[in-house]
Amino acid sequence: MLDTVRELERQGFSATYLDPEPDGLVDLDKFRAALRPDTTVASVMFVNNEIGVIQPIAAMGEICREKGVIFHVDSAQATGKVPVDLAALKVDLMSFSAHKTYGPKGIGALYVRRKPRVRLEAQMHGGGHEKGFRSGTLATHQIVGMGEAFRLARLEMAAENERIRMLRDRLLAGLKGMEEVYVNGDLDHRVPHNLNVSFNFVEGESLIMGMKELAVSSGSACTSASLEPSYVLRALGRNDELAHSSIRFTLGRWTTEADVDFAVKLLQARIGKLREMSPLWEMYKEGIDLNTVQWAAH
Amino acid sequence: MAYSDKVIDHYENPRNVGSFAKDEEGVATGMVGAPACGDVMKLQIKVGPNGVIEDAKFKTYGCGSAIASSSLVTEWVKGKTLAEAATIRNTQIAEELALPPVKIHCSILAEDAIKAAVADYRKKYGEDDAAKRAAD
Repeated sequence: MLDTVRELERQGFSATYLDPEPDGLVDLDKFRAALRPDTTVASVMFVNNEIGVIQPIAAMGEICREKGVIFHVDSAQATGKVPVDLAALKVDLMSFSAHKTYGPKGIGALYVRRKPRVRLEAQMHGGGHEKGFRSGTLATHQIVGMGEAFRLARLEMAAENERIRMLRDRLLAGLKGMEEVYVNGDLDHRVPHNLNVSFNFVEGESLIMGMKELAVSSGSACTSASLEPSYVLRALGRNDELAHSSIRFTLGRWTTEADVDFAVKLLQARIGKLREMSPLWEMYKEGIDLNTVQWAAH
Repeated sequence: MAYSDKVIDHYENPRNVGSFAKDEEGVATGMVGAPACGDVMKLQIKVGPNGVIEDAKFKTYGCGSAIASSSLVTEWVKGKTLAEAATIRNTQIAEELALPPVKIHCSILAEDAIKAAVADYRKKYGEDDAAKRAAD
């Protein structure tokens, strides 16, 4: 949603960006204080895509309702992982995406609350379909696919969360013996499907290159056009080394215990090899404080 | 990211990984890059009495292309004089490893590492030491 907010700023709106706490969660007092008398809308991700933390949506909704602020929640990463009860949550707008929950690509949904009513500008104009919000012929097969995916996800959610939590704990236990490993984001307020870990002194992209058998991503966007480290991890206050050294593991419907054991073994071998190759690891082992080093930045 | 076969080969089988003892005779070190940028290269050269680089070692924190670039230059500098080593250009490294544009900075860093190591040698042992030691 950052890009959408930037577009609004170009149109003349002003925006406040609220950094999370070091555990990745929004502080409710800071959130309340950030809402101005003229604030029209607040927007947050239910579950963060990089670190998997679950934001306190219910409490944030109460605050927004009290202050008369429209509350938008991006639930793309939440469906099938946490209960989403719009009868209880004071959320005015909620967005969904099918493919994050094993549904078809190319369809999402926007929930728009009727009471209290949220009035929206039409996203596109035409024949006035969908109450004039979004004109056009609907892709029925996509809608059915999304509905069915969400139905299954809801059915399996409790058992699946339990199974995945056990796999996550198994993965975490496999990393326990290693030095200088940091979990990014709060471990309790988090979907079990995500484990974002920084392996200090090992650069994320080089680690991914050594684990072709695993589909993981680096918190840093090194593999894309940008070489900047993850802004999410920087927002948690992680230093540059740790932000550049992060790996996001995600566990899903088809992940097995054997997969996790395989991943742990591969990780241990690769981390060991890359640290042997790392001048930062060598300096750390010699007791040098990397913060005191004068780097030749490029 | 599609890596070239040469990058993958250097990543899987890096040449000359390691460090020389700090007080070893004829050893000089170049360390370039910064953790904030996601790349740090340490290149060490060991220069013989005849002014020729006898051995080289590296350690690199960075992506596969950075590792490959530094591994490659340890091979290239061996057997060269300091002056010859200093002529190695990033474009040659990038060409040899078929680096994509987004990874050109890795080859620049490797060139900088050679220059830094050569500069460290000259600082430690004096500008003309190589020639002097050769004459002895």
